[in-house]
Amino acid sequence: MTLTMTHLMALLPLIVVCATAITVMLGIAWRRHHGGTAAVTVIGIVLTLAMLLPIWTMAPVEVPLLVVDGLALFAGAMILISSLTCAALAYVYLDNYPGPREEFYLLLLCAAAGGMVLAASRHLATLFVGLELLSMPLYGMLAYAFSERRSLEAGIKYFILSAAATAFLLFGMALLYAQVGRLDLPAVAAVLGERPTAWGLAGIGLLLVGLGFKLSIVPFHLWTPDVYEGAPGPAATFLASASKVAVFVVLLRLVLSTPAFQDDWLRGVLAVLALAGMLVGNLLALVQSNLKRLLGYSSIAHFGYLLVALVVGDGLATETSGVYLLTYLVTTLGAFGVVTLLSSSYSGEDTAALHHYRGLFWRRPYLTAVLTVSLLSLAGIPFTAGFIGKFYIIALGVEAERWWLVGGIIVGSAIGLYYYLRVMVTLYLVEPGMRRRDAPRDWGGRAGGVVVLGLALLVVMLGVYPAPMIEWVRLVEHITVR
Amino acid sequence: MEVAFYLSGLVAVLATLRVVTSINPIHALLYLIVSLIAVAMVFFALGAPFAGALEVIIYAGAIMVLFVFVVMMLNLDEGVAAQERAWFKPRIWLGPAVLSAILLLVLVATLWRGDIGLVIEGETLTAKAVGTALFGPWLIVVELAAMLLLAALVTASHVGRSQSPDTRGDES
Repeated sequence: MTLTMTHLMALLPLIVVCATAITVMLGIAWRRHHGGTAAVTVIGIVLTLAMLLPIWTMAPVEVPLLVVDGLALFAGAMILISSLTCAALAYVYLDNYPGPREEFYLLLLCAAAGGMVLAASRHLATLFVGLELLSMPLYGMLAYAFSERRSLEAGIKYFILSAAATAFLLFGMALLYAQVGRLDLPAVAAVLGERPTAWGLAGIGLLLVGLGFKLSIVPFHLWTPDVYEGAPGPAATFLASASKVAVFVVLLRLVLSTPAFQDDWLRGVLAVLALAGMLVGNLLALVQSNLKRLLGYSSIAHFGYLLVALVVGDGLATETSGVYLLTYLVTTLGAFGVVTLLSSSYSGEDTAALHHYRGLFWRRPYLTAVLTVSLLSLAGIPFTAGFIGKFYIIALGVEAERWWLVGGIIVGSAIGLYYYLRVMVTLYLVEPGMRRRDAPRDWGGRAGGVVVLGLALLVVMLGVYPAPMIEWVRLVEHITVR
Repeated sequence: MEVAFYLSGLVAVLATLRVVTSINPIHALLYLIVSLIAVAMVFFALGAPFAGALEVIIYAGAIMVLFVFVVMMLNLDEGVAAQERAWFKPRIWLGPAVLSAILLLVLVATLWRGDIGLVIEGETLTAKAVGTALFGPWLIVVELAAMLLLAALVTASHVGRSQSPDTRGDES
């Protein structure tokens, strides 16, 4: 099969992102200019986002090794939006960074391209290359401020553990290939059938380990808090948003298209992983005194909730995953955005310890409002986007009569409310001699400030009037290739 | 051909076991080279000479030799000569030598029988077939691998920068 014009059209967003990365690289080679590099990056990403609209009408298109369908475009849009946010935040964050700053945008664009490939992959080869293209630039982004001990530690920790996870993934693929003799997902799913053999199950299990590591699902979550804590703000934002969305989408595709996942045993495993994620994530978040670590544990818990959609695996599962991913993405971007903005005026360790945030409201009312809205949404309070997502998950669990999981969600949310509220109370406490860790004075006029404010507005809007979002996700499901 | 396949496979497994159990990094690397060459033999036996040749040239030839050089250069101090003498005992080199000799035996025996296209089953995959597949349906993966290498290169050049972090790139 060769590439036709239609295929090229469908691949255009990916091509444009890669071309932007090359442009940025050539720009750096010619002359270093922070503002110019950021501008080229933002223009490239916005162009790509605009390009998704016409391709939406021609989806689904099956390209060799990839499929450009509703789910791929949906995930692509989310990845691009988070990359855009990260680029805006990075511009503010890196402004005071003493070393070279332009490479960050190049790595960001490469990672975005990797995420888009991963979300569109329908073949184990593109799944692997996409995952690597997503992870490889992330190592560089996490260790970007390598003169900081913690940043370097985060980068190396993620690098080594992620390489181990990739080894599991590859071994799983090898086992599946030995069973099936094919690498494209539909063929693998068809040959494995409803009841796979022991080797097939082992292959699927190892694939789950590899992907579960990237999603920091509970037994594979140990790296998450350390890496989140040490990573520079924009890199942590990308890791918590785009990277997770892309990997979750490919996992969703895998689970939905493989009849082997209807097996009670595999579902049992997924259910245990989900329950463990909710409880462990929330309980460990209780004892954190660092906002980035707390957000890391909270993301572990959120992916525990999301796994419920995979356990149920039919009916509203795709719609639920879509809605939850979207609300999680917007909320997380908001929360990490505020942390990044507050860290940006200070060179050195990020502003993440909770005592830095004490009385923030009296100095930075708007930023505090954004953080408050994000935390409320993460806790799932009504009138925020998080509530809609959590509502969907609970409804799905109740409909499938998975009472243990529903119980886990409720207990997890109750614990979650406690530690989110603890942070919020800190924000409004007044204390003499407060530590001064501030955002740049003119943060509101800067790109990062505008983006963060917009995200907070979006969180509230999606919570009050979720109908367009739900319509969109339904449309996505409609044009998704199963 | 089956004998060649299983013998090489056995050598690969044994050598890899020694890689894991060796305490000395150089010894482990030597065994790793043997293991990679054995895997190359397995590829030849399966009828994939291109993959086998790549395995020898890239893994055993380039990457591992680089590893050995780096590890040896890191160990440069006064005790090197004494250490070298201590290492050069039959107990150390006999293992890799025997395993390599088995591989050589397999290779010579296969060549003796004359037919290069001999495989366990199926057809021999030539370099041409591999190229057609790579630049036909797998083109996207090749292009993405290029992006992956770019990202890896930029990461390495950024993190491996020796200049002090106080200077920006444009000032140096």
